[in-house]
Amino acid sequence: MRVPFFDLAFGRRRRRSAPQEATARGDAPRVVVVGTPNVGKSVLFHRLTGAYVTVSNYPGTTVEVARGRARFGGRQVEVVDTPGLHSLRTLSDEERVARRLLLEEPAMVVLHVVDAKNLERMLPFTFQLLEAGLPVVLVANMIDEAERAGLRIDVEGLEQSLGIPVVGTVAVSGRGIPRLRALLDERCRERAHDRVAV
Amino acid sequence: MSAAASGRTIALRYSSRVEEALARIERELEGAYRFSHRAMAVLLLQGDLDADEAVARAEGARYARIAEVVRAVREECGPECEELLGTARREAASQLVATHVEGPTTARLSFQERLSRICTSPVTGVPVLIFVLWAGLYQFVGVFGGGTLVGLLEDGLFGQIINPAVTAWVQAVSPWPWLSSLLVGDYGVWTLGITYSVALIFPIVGTFFLAFSALEDSGYFPRLALLVDRLFKAIGLSGKAVIPIVLGFGCDTMATMVTRILETRRERLIATFLLSLAIPCSAQIGVMTALLHDHPAAFWIWGGVVAGILLLIGYLTSRLLPGEPSRFAMEMPPLRLPRLGNILSKTVARMQWYLMEVLPLFVAASVVLWLGQLTGVLHWALAGLVPVVGLLGLPDAAAEAFLLGFFRRDYGAAGLYRLEEVGALTGNQLLVAVVTLTIFVPCVAQLLMTKKERGTRAAISMAAFIFPFAILTGAVLNWTLHALGVSL
Repeated sequence: MRVPFFDLAFGRRRRRSAPQEATARGDAPRVVVVGTPNVGKSVLFHRLTGAYVTVSNYPGTTVEVARGRARFGGRQVEVVDTPGLHSLRTLSDEERVARRLLLEEPAMVVLHVVDAKNLERMLPFTFQLLEAGLPVVLVANMIDEAERAGLRIDVEGLEQSLGIPVVGTVAVSGRGIPRLRALLDERCRERAHDRVAV
Repeated sequence: MSAAASGRTIALRYSSRVEEALARIERELEGAYRFSHRAMAVLLLQGDLDADEAVARAEGARYARIAEVVRAVREECGPECEELLGTARREAASQLVATHVEGPTTARLSFQERLSRICTSPVTGVPVLIFVLWAGLYQFVGVFGGGTLVGLLEDGLFGQIINPAVTAWVQAVSPWPWLSSLLVGDYGVWTLGITYSVALIFPIVGTFFLAFSALEDSGYFPRLALLVDRLFKAIGLSGKAVIPIVLGFGCDTMATMVTRILETRRERLIATFLLSLAIPCSAQIGVMTALLHDHPAAFWIWGGVVAGILLLIGYLTSRLLPGEPSRFAMEMPPLRLPRLGNILSKTVARMQWYLMEVLPLFVAASVVLWLGQLTGVLHWALAGLVPVVGLLGLPDAAAEAFLLGFFRRDYGAAGLYRLEEVGALTGNQLLVAVVTLTIFVPCVAQLLMTKKERGTRAAISMAAFIFPFAILTGAVLNWTLHALGVSL
């Protein structure tokens, strides 16, 4: 969404307590979309959610968070589009909001959207998300541009090395989205099953 | 719990130094978090405030001990570990890419990348900075906002149309003279408080925030921080301290709070001090630039003097206070063309914040001054300040502006604006006054934050240094200009 650096400098009074919204939503099945600005997060978000989107300020801030509904694996799932986040170490208000979403709202899947052309710059954040033990799926978006630049990305190899699903997509055209949906369907079904088993 | 719990995912190992530090922190954590204990330990090691809060919530009585361990580990090897963490992640990323991506990975530098280097290299970065200051700050905020817009609003709309009408109406309606003087007198709530904030501050701060938001949206500021860091390093002052310092150009009060991210007490103290002394906040930069809009040379001298003081005092304090400067690692978001929607929404949010904060203060200050005028206290206070402004080579009337400056620096500058408009100040006098006010006390809010973060003793000693130092600098500058026969 935005690349602020100085928002922290402007004295918005932040609420120091956990956002009530987060606790109120409890354990609702949720997919959280994270990544740096300008990698196509929002386009992907709209691809997944369609028309049912609400945009509201995150409690205690002026940062906007978009939430939408989608059905994966026959279940109603909430999809959250976070403000841009470069790293788990945050500097700006918007990054803090994105991270607080991760820190405080349980996620069934965390979609880390990256620019396929710039994997090297973006993977450090993937490592951080994995280190945090989050259920990450890596979405290498704009893979068409990467191909045009002469890059060949071995998606299966990456999956093997990282130990998480990796999907190459072109959010704007819809390429790769069916595969991503299938993956989310599967995840959500698994989780529903887990719940029954427990 | 999560997919990662299956244990198949890649897990980075850091160097033994980092692993030891992490283990020491991780051992103490027992609470339940959405992030793994290891990730929480990493964030704590980096001095992350939200993580600290989460730990305080989750650990209860154990928190005090954890905070103590974290503090000790950070003092011991915080900056080094932070750098090692970043390096390890980048290396792992390069390795993965080398294995799984074929093709021209080290392609020619993109235009973006080249521009980014131009902004951060000292040789080309300084000219870029000067251009940004000239075009964005001086021309747009000073000449356009402070000259053209203020002229239209203050002289035209308020000075000739609204204020005469309001004054005549209040005087006709008000049964008591004290009421009309409270509302439309010399320090009237309307004639001073509202007029200053709406006709003067509003266009200046509005143009400033517009320019500021555009720069912010472009991703220029992190590069500026890197450039400043490189320049600081040259004189032995360096490290993450540039983050709060650069943030201070937005709002010194918030920046003072952000000094918490610094590892050592020493660095926090230096940064807090420099913020109080030599960093004008956004509102002040706007108003002061506007004040100097007819005197481009004075604008550059102002910048040079303040930068010089920042570097000199920073250098001296870092020599005086023992300790090693820490190293600096920061994430760099990409440069990009700013988006109009973002710029506008940020500008509006900031204007709201500013007016909400400033308008009540201006009105309150009007009332205080009016009370002072009524009781005669104001007269005494002004008389006491006259010799001080005399020392600066300023006319007696400037005492009033300095009195306003006690409330907020930009308020004082707004007082000067009035004098400037009636032609009561020469270029030299304006420059001296602006430099003195820049170094002068920060706003009350910052002073309180300093007290909260660094303690009463530190806050008082800083104020005790800053007041005379500001006057002294002004006097020396005035004298130097005289001696050199400079007339701006």
